[in-house]
Amino acid sequence: MSKEINRLHPVSAIITSAKALKSMIIPVAIIIVTNGFNFSFNFHSEHFFQTVLLFGVWGVAALLSLVSGIVKWRTFVYWFEDGELRVKYGLFVKKKRYIPFERIQSLNYNEGILHRLLGLVKVQVETAGSKDGKPEVELTAIRKAAADVIELEMHRAKNQVIEQTADERSLPIEEEVSIPTIYHMSIRDLLVLATTSGGIGVVLSGLAAAVSQFSDIIPYETVFHELADFVKIGVFLIALIVMLILIVAWGVSVVITLINYYDYTVRIEDEKLIITKGLLEKKRITLPLNRIQAIRIVENPLRQWFGFATVVVESAGGNGEDGKDKKITLFPLIQKRDCLQTLEQLFPEMNWRPEFIRTPKRARSFFYRIDFIWLIPIIGACSYFIYPYGLLSLLLIPIMILLGIWQHKTAGYKIDRKQLTMQYRVFSRITIFMEKKRIQSIESTQTYFQRRKNVMSIKATVMSGMTGMTGNVPSLEQQDAESILYWYEH
Amino acid sequence: MRAEPIHKISRKGLTVWRLYGVLQTLLLLVIAVLVCYGTYYFGWPSFIYFIAVAVVILSAVLSAYLFPKIRWERWRYEVRENEIEVQHGLFVVKRTLIPMVRVQHVDTTQGPILKRYGLGNISISTAATVHTIPALVMEEADGLRARISELARVAEDDV
Repeated sequence: MSKEINRLHPVSAIITSAKALKSMIIPVAIIIVTNGFNFSFNFHSEHFFQTVLLFGVWGVAALLSLVSGIVKWRTFVYWFEDGELRVKYGLFVKKKRYIPFERIQSLNYNEGILHRLLGLVKVQVETAGSKDGKPEVELTAIRKAAADVIELEMHRAKNQVIEQTADERSLPIEEEVSIPTIYHMSIRDLLVLATTSGGIGVVLSGLAAAVSQFSDIIPYETVFHELADFVKIGVFLIALIVMLILIVAWGVSVVITLINYYDYTVRIEDEKLIITKGLLEKKRITLPLNRIQAIRIVENPLRQWFGFATVVVESAGGNGEDGKDKKITLFPLIQKRDCLQTLEQLFPEMNWRPEFIRTPKRARSFFYRIDFIWLIPIIGACSYFIYPYGLLSLLLIPIMILLGIWQHKTAGYKIDRKQLTMQYRVFSRITIFMEKKRIQSIESTQTYFQRRKNVMSIKATVMSGMTGMTGNVPSLEQQDAESILYWYEH
Repeated sequence: MRAEPIHKISRKGLTVWRLYGVLQTLLLLVIAVLVCYGTYYFGWPSFIYFIAVAVVILSAVLSAYLFPKIRWERWRYEVRENEIEVQHGLFVVKRTLIPMVRVQHVDTTQGPILKRYGLGNISISTAATVHTIPALVMEEADGLRARISELARVAEDDV
């Protein structure tokens, strides 16, 4: 065990303080804008004191954040001891944190642009205990070689355990063999992903939001008059414009996807999944296989149609990027066939092609009946207030019924020895594979009406992030639902 | 049909829930009086009186009488060697199974009203979920807490 004390790279002081400064920019910008840029360093100007106050406060805050950044860098040390990653930091209040290697849920390497220029990497260590969505330990910037040492230490600690238990000779550290790639996204996949994801919608709504932000600046009346002329020119042009907007939205969505998912590769090494991705900012997530809580296959209708799926891994740790959302996308887009094959290789003991036991026919009405509670007031209001066109909202009824029937067809479950598989549809089809030992609790729910028809809904929760992830199969045959409860008990 | 869990919660729990309902109704009553006064003072439309009265009466009937009764009738729990089973719900009957090996920790809590009646809540936390059994007699809650933590200690399994 090396007890060598390691420090962060000096750049981390700058990164830490820059981060603090970044969060101050928006309030300052708001103050500046609301003041209408009435600033002046002229002593006789009436705005002089305002200016001094604002920039004084801002300057002090900037200085403080710089100092705290430096202090954090100077005091932060980490080392490896007794199979643990140990971290110590703090100037007045010393904080120490020891994390046993086997408790690490995921290890993330991020390389921002600055990091890449200097050959550095940001390391985030997550355990199941991560609260408020923050990683347990964050090494803001260390040299790549130093980051590799962490993995090496983890590996060594693991092998030592094996040594003790199996009384074997120390295993030779695995030579650098090419690690099998189990999944790689081609540019074509990325294009399909960008096209079929909700990203386009996000971009469109972003555009709309941007437009509404500038609504004061846009001279609506002039635009409106011109638009009136425009309409005369023809519907064709409008269609063209709409097309153009859609194409731009698509282009933006493609660019975003490319930047985020470029060179998306999943490899498996030493019982760990390693996901690398990113064009500008390179990310690398290491996830021990035995830390995976459940696996979810999500197929939105469009992708289901083309035989594509998304595979999401539920983990108690996380990917450190979007806070409370602790799911990790394993395969952003994959052919359903390939996906099942790959999963079979990864987890041979699980049944990936279960034959689902579906919900009984008499349960069908439960899938859309509940929707009428909110549907009828809406339709009533629409029809009443915007009379002729509001009646179009009546179309919602057949749509909801069809969706309900579709959901009814999709809902099902299967029990295989130690495994529970649930399938259901909200809008996308979701299939959750979970092991009995990972399920935290199972709940059955039954309304008065369901009891009359002898059907029952089942919810199973696994740990995922802070709140857990719940799979929900509505309106199963009561016997089936009870058999799940019985299976879970024994 | 699966058998219901055997234990019901304390009869005093029903009283406490009724008390909560009464308090809630009183709060609504105060608001209703204020609204009625406003209606009188500012000359708002008179149907507001009826709404205010209806809300108070409904609250009195439902939250002070009917809902506590249904909830109390429905609430059942059972702590077995390998799992805890809980049944509750007002309109929807919910039954939850929590295996002992999944239990991370157990808490008992007691607010001022519960304390007057010598009752307490017990919360069972797993890694992902929290389940609360309300209004147990305090000694029973403490005993249960000790028992669950004893049973939960036996097994160790990974999150």
